[in-house]
Amino acid sequence: MATDLRISNISKIYPGCIANDNVTLQFKSGKIYALLGENGAGKSTLVKILSGVISPDNGEVFLNEKNLKLSSPLDAKKNKIGMVFQHFNLFETLSVFENLSIDATEDNKSLRVRINEIFKKYNFSIDLDVPVLNLSAGQKQKVEIIRCLLRSPKVLIMDEPTSVLTEQETEELFISLKKFCDEGILIIYITHKLKEVLSLCDEVAVMRKGKVVSVSQTQNEKVETLANKMVGQKLAKIKKKINISKNKDEIFKVKHLNFYSDDPFETNLVNLNFSVKKGECLGIAGISGNGQNELFQILSGEIITPDTSIIFRNKEIAKLNPKQRREYLMAFSPEDRISQAAVPELKIYENVALNNFKSSNFFEKGLVNERKIKEHSKKILSDFSVNTDNVELKSQFLSGGNLQKLILGRELITAPELLICYNPTWGLDVGAINYIHETLIKINDREKSTILISTDTEELLKLSDRIAVIYKGKLSKIMPSEEVTPEKLGVLMGGGSID
Amino acid sequence: MSLDISFIGILIGSIMASSVPLILAASGELITERSGVLNLGVEGMMIIGAISGFALMVITDNLFIAIVGSMFSGVIISLIFGFLTQSLLTNHVATGLALTIFGIGLSAMLGKNFVGIPGKEFPILFSSLRESIPFFGPILFGHSIVLYFAFALPFLTNYFLKKTKLGLVVRAVGDSPVSASNQGINVTLVRYCCILYGGAMCGLAGAYLSLIYTPQWIENMTAGRGWIALALVVFATWSPIKVLIGALIFGGITILQLHMQAIGFRIPVQFLSALPYLMTIIVLVVISRDSRKIKLNTPTSLGRIFYKEK
Repeated sequence: MATDLRISNISKIYPGCIANDNVTLQFKSGKIYALLGENGAGKSTLVKILSGVISPDNGEVFLNEKNLKLSSPLDAKKNKIGMVFQHFNLFETLSVFENLSIDATEDNKSLRVRINEIFKKYNFSIDLDVPVLNLSAGQKQKVEIIRCLLRSPKVLIMDEPTSVLTEQETEELFISLKKFCDEGILIIYITHKLKEVLSLCDEVAVMRKGKVVSVSQTQNEKVETLANKMVGQKLAKIKKKINISKNKDEIFKVKHLNFYSDDPFETNLVNLNFSVKKGECLGIAGISGNGQNELFQILSGEIITPDTSIIFRNKEIAKLNPKQRREYLMAFSPEDRISQAAVPELKIYENVALNNFKSSNFFEKGLVNERKIKEHSKKILSDFSVNTDNVELKSQFLSGGNLQKLILGRELITAPELLICYNPTWGLDVGAINYIHETLIKINDREKSTILISTDTEELLKLSDRIAVIYKGKLSKIMPSEEVTPEKLGVLMGGGSID
Repeated sequence: MSLDISFIGILIGSIMASSVPLILAASGELITERSGVLNLGVEGMMIIGAISGFALMVITDNLFIAIVGSMFSGVIISLIFGFLTQSLLTNHVATGLALTIFGIGLSAMLGKNFVGIPGKEFPILFSSLRESIPFFGPILFGHSIVLYFAFALPFLTNYFLKKTKLGLVVRAVGDSPVSASNQGINVTLVRYCCILYGGAMCGLAGAYLSLIYTPQWIENMTAGRGWIALALVVFATWSPIKVLIGALIFGGITILQLHMQAIGFRIPVQFLSALPYLMTIIVLVVISRDSRKIKLNTPTSLGRIFYKEK
């Protein structure tokens, strides 16, 4: 039976922000629909409304001309609307089967039979009796999808599904989604990745600042046209010119980096060896959870590992803590901006002072020199085009993009010789990503080096001079980036080999 | 004193009796914590259970009413905690501490008129078998029904958590209330139920003290057992069976060190008194070393306030 989903005049207003402004959209089964928009465009709010997690201030949802009352997730379930959230809604400590059985109405035996049928039909294979925390992100997503399929949904909503997947997993996902679509399930695919829209979806609705700004057939669209609709202005194209010069000095050299942990949530690192030349960007690719966290913490000095040698500007720094490493002109930008890079409750200028205890006479005789710090902070805000000039603002009120600019600005103002950053553009919108990328390229242009640990292959290919892949705590060989393709990276990130 | 076989049997029997309040309170608190709620009011709920059980016994002269009433009073006082933490979203730790202080104060006030009144003998089961079978008799028979219930409880709790649908829901809520809510589970309702169940078990644990173990009312008679029960849950890494083991070790060493003090061992009394605490922690830490298993049993959202998006 054909399914017809209609969203009519939906509005949702949060204090200080209109998340959805009179959104009207129509979807019909047999097609895959894309809902495209930057972060904060209102996509997630809309899908939360469709899945009954939040209720709209205004507007209605019709499924096959029936007005749906979606006041709880149960209502969405009853009406056969399935939802795979961006941040998985799984119970990490429960087994796969327990996760699937928690809202099933049948007994465990027949549920197992049905799950195995789904496995066969779509070529899935997951051990049902392991705890979910042992699964890879791709497998976790499959568990979510199976949970939806068990309820034979009419509508399947996927919220940013590929943000944690490898290239291969993404391809597999697309094949499955096309199969679901052929079987008559209406698919709504939420993303900010333009290429996915073009390769997967039939129709695309673009959202900006809570409003639907365009609905069109994807065959009439190109990456550029969609990007412009999404951002609302023309974006400058960035391309780095790769500079591999063999005879440049190695500024940073890591030998025998090993890390062993008892914690099942941590990854062991096995004998990593690499070096970075002056003015070079070394990219480290990998799916999150393959040891990047641990690697970043070891490089920044948060974790000290025995028997590791780290040579930086001809000095052995392996035993130094982050503060001492900063004094040797290293700088760090961790993945988690809110909890690792900045203290959200502190004001902007206080955060700026945090990593500059020694330098720039911020402190005199143990007292804080507020005036100097504020001057310095103002300079960062303007130099790095942070969207505020109020240094008294608490950092938690900055958007992700502005906070990242502030953090990079803080780190770069000391003119470090080496910047190590981990997922610097994670969760940012296109405009902010562009700015961060330009900044990182400029660092290399000034003959300073960077190590870019990232889960975003596109970003790595754009910025790196050489790339290595980390998989289960092991580093692949380091390749010049012109020899690397997204496919090759995908194979390596999934544990395959390319030779 | 001769350490003959029947003496050891009696000794084990008394160790079992002394660990009953710990098993009851810890099993109740375990369910509460598995749903993600940290209720530090165990001591307060126990002492309220103790006084209300004893008072009801004196007033009605009916032990059944006294037992049920003590559980009910545990439910009522835990309802205060539930309302504050689940409906008004107050901090679990602060609210639990307040509950304990409140419970101790209230029980002292209510208990004023009951000090010095002798308790009633609580019926014991299979008392003839106790005498006729050497060694095993005093271990297996001649106990109150509450003791048998207490020793079954950790296994029932384990079965409930691992095998039943409701147990799965409780674990799911404790793992990730947001996910549970998005799956259509009423997180607040589940947590309320777990809190009230914990309250009932703490109330029963208190009544065991004032009606069966030492049948009388003494102010502050729980004497920190609520805190031990709380610690047991954590050190047993939220495993009901390990709670039972921990409670037995604690009860066992408490009794043994009393005997040792009586015999006059040349070990400082302070050390002997500290021994139950030390040994329980050491043993539970040693048997709970598998960090993988701990992760799987620990309620990830423990003590965190859950806001439902609107």
